[in-house]
Amino acid sequence: MRELYRLHSVRRRFGAKTALDIDCLTIGEGRLYTLTGANGAGKSTLLNILALLSPPTSGEIYYAGERIDWNNGSVERRRRKVTLLHQSPYLFGGTVHDNVAFGLAARGIRGEERRRIVGKALDAVALGGFQGRNARELSGGEAQRVAMARALALSPEVLLLDEPLANIDRETSGLLESVIASLPERGTTVVMVSHDPDLPKRLNGETIFLEAGKIVPSY
Amino acid sequence: MDFLFSSFAAALWMIGDLSPDVVDAVGTSLSVSAGATVFAAFFGVPLGLTMGLAEFPLKRFAITVLNTLMALPTVVVGLLVYGFLSRQGPLGVLGLLFTPTAIVIGGTLLAAPIVANYALAAVRGADPRILPTALTLGAGRMRAVCALIGEIRFGILAAVIAGFGRVISEVGVAMMLGGNIRGYTRTMTTAIALETSKGEFAFGMALGIVLLSVALLVNLFLHFLQQR
Repeated sequence: MRELYRLHSVRRRFGAKTALDIDCLTIGEGRLYTLTGANGAGKSTLLNILALLSPPTSGEIYYAGERIDWNNGSVERRRRKVTLLHQSPYLFGGTVHDNVAFGLAARGIRGEERRRIVGKALDAVALGGFQGRNARELSGGEAQRVAMARALALSPEVLLLDEPLANIDRETSGLLESVIASLPERGTTVVMVSHDPDLPKRLNGETIFLEAGKIVPSY
Repeated sequence: MDFLFSSFAAALWMIGDLSPDVVDAVGTSLSVSAGATVFAAFFGVPLGLTMGLAEFPLKRFAITVLNTLMALPTVVVGLLVYGFLSRQGPLGVLGLLFTPTAIVIGGTLLAAPIVANYALAAVRGADPRILPTALTLGAGRMRAVCALIGEIRFGILAAVIAGFGRVISEVGVAMMLGGNIRGYTRTMTTAIALETSKGEFAFGMALGIVLLSVALLVNLFLHFLQQR
């Protein structure tokens, strides 16, 4: 197993409160991890750090063996390999196509290739033909699937998911679960916040338990 | 009441008849207001966005100062710019005093804080998920900010229109820096003030109607854009 992330003595404080206090965490390539813990345990904080969106207060993070330097362009370059899907994803104004194509446009992918990738990503979440729909007029489940398609379109090395199966109907949940389960086979590493105790078993994944910002052994 | 009705009828007649004085004043007002609004947007929008997005020491104080500048009296701006542009002033050599350019400069100083404050409010009211979403999809910092601007474009547009409203309706700057020269720097507001003081109430009312109509058109335009 190739080591993708290594966190060493990572702390994140908000004022006087320590939200995250991890001595050591290794995340392997092409694996699926479920991140679990009570509210306020630091799950979202950890996801934001893994997504390279917010730096830790102290500590070091290595991605594919390279130490992340938060003060130069390497963060931006690395961030393109990682995508975070929020629990309540934001869809930009415009069409579904505009949304799914957003990250592709940022990578300079245009024209027919972009349309093809967008179509394929929407097909993967059973929203084929939704390209021209207004993103703001979708149902909650459809919006969640568009956000998933938007992430899948980028073929990220790492997909971070913040409770992607919460607040959606059973049918959509089942669909997204099967999409997520298929990702490690394609080499995508998945780290997913979930409160479902059976999920790691169903998805053949590992569990990371967080308690008051610290990683605790799973029993 | 008869006086008001007859003046109103005379005002409508002047507008319909395209009285040259009315046309001149309207044209000058629109051109200097448009010019000042463009410059105010050029400076005010980036300022508001920066104040909203960047973290820097004394930010709260800077925002308070910006808020205060919204209440800047027009005559104070007029006085300040007059000092710079008058013959003895540091920019007197440019000969800009009592020209439309001087009104544009004053109007820009008046409108820029308003545009900046509205833009700042638009940023603060924006959905906090916009920037992280853009960043996690691989956008660089600039592209992410552009995405944010795209999402709050109506707030930015409202900022610019508020700036335009401030400039086209003010009288102090136009009077002090333009000099109310007929056919050259006479704007709708300075003409209203002058003609009403001369007893030409109908003329003032005609310009007042045009001024309100312009405000209505601008707001209809904004509403139209929001509907699209």
